[in-house]
Amino acid sequence: MAELTRDLVIQNELGLHARAAALLVGLVARHKPDFWLRKEDMEINGKSIMGVLMLAAAKGTTLTARVVGPEEQGLKDMLDQVEELVNNKFGEGR
Amino acid sequence: MQSIRVEQLLKDDEFDLGLALVTGEAGLGRDIDFDKIQKPGLAFTGYTDFVRARRVQVLGNAEISYLWQVSPEERTRALAWLATRQVACVIVTKGLQIPDELRDICLSSGTPLFRTHLLSSNLISKLQALLEEKLAPQTVLHGVLVDVFGIGVLILGKSGIGKSECALDLIMNHHRLVADDVVDIKRKGPDVVFGGGNEIIKHHMEIRGLGILNIKDLFGVASVRDRKRIELVVELVEWSDDEEYDRIGIDERTYTILDVDIPLLTVPVRPGRNITTIIEVAARNQLLKLQGHHSALEFQERLTRAMANSTPPRRVVGDDVE
Repeated sequence: MAELTRDLVIQNELGLHARAAALLVGLVARHKPDFWLRKEDMEINGKSIMGVLMLAAAKGTTLTARVVGPEEQGLKDMLDQVEELVNNKFGEGR
Repeated sequence: MQSIRVEQLLKDDEFDLGLALVTGEAGLGRDIDFDKIQKPGLAFTGYTDFVRARRVQVLGNAEISYLWQVSPEERTRALAWLATRQVACVIVTKGLQIPDELRDICLSSGTPLFRTHLLSSNLISKLQALLEEKLAPQTVLHGVLVDVFGIGVLILGKSGIGKSECALDLIMNHHRLVADDVVDIKRKGPDVVFGGGNEIIKHHMEIRGLGILNIKDLFGVASVRDRKRIELVVELVEWSDDEEYDRIGIDERTYTILDVDIPLLTVPVRPGRNITTIIEVAARNQLLKLQGHHSALEFQERLTRAMANSTPPRRVVGDDVE
């Protein structure tokens, strides 16, 4: 089992609100590897929308994404896509 | 090990400790990492081996009247350990008059000194409750916690296996939701774990196709509860024909949460198996076990008895009876 982590900074105005969380969960649910998100000392299963919402991550929050799966390339691709979604402000434009 | 800062004792408004800071403000940032208080007692005589750092010291009638009845020099000597032992803080109970020597050493060593009007016994029991609560080992698990017939059932399993749907079904059957998706878990004492919901998402659930639901609004106040002791873990797994599932129920398997072993059932999911009913029955069976009845073991004994009582069948060879 390989494991990769990456820090993500929430950049959209509304933070990781319900719709954004749904997009994130929808994206990672399409991938096989386990996906965890950590804010400070709280780590939750990033494939569960309630968990992601519980983080209440406002704009500027740094989250650490951790993926665990059998092959490293897949993990990297997955993190790339997640990072793109976050950096794209979840398609909200602001 | 969990720890809290001394200032949290002062700020607390839940346990009603009645503390007022006398001196030693500089030490309010000190940590408390031990959930038992200490009364210094023998430390006053110079035997300080058991005075632990980061622990709360309570001075009651016995300690304070001892200090008052010795000479001021003796008092200073009796309190000298406070300068070096880095105790969390000192609390004088019952509104007793505080000797200057105690005040001085607390100020110079930066040890917070509190007074309270409470009797030692009351303060200790309240403080103990606070420390056990705040210093309890804790963790977070991904699952659903439901109170089924008074048994706290923690349902675990991979995302999408149907934990939330199963919990919703249980709620429809008048059981109570404690937490969906993210269960905050705390240990109380050596062998009890409690689970509860996170403040932000508590009483809410996400059901695919419906979205986020407020269970308390939809089903009423009796459909939810804030925390519940976890007494049974049910792990939902995808049905696999290669896997052997428990058919008898004699072997007790356990799931360990914060070093506490909790009975574990692994239930394979497949269309046509009503998981809700299985969980309800599992909770009933657990209630029976708690009252000393073990269905599978009792059945085995019954079988053993039946076999012992029956005479072995005679062997018949052809028409001849041996």
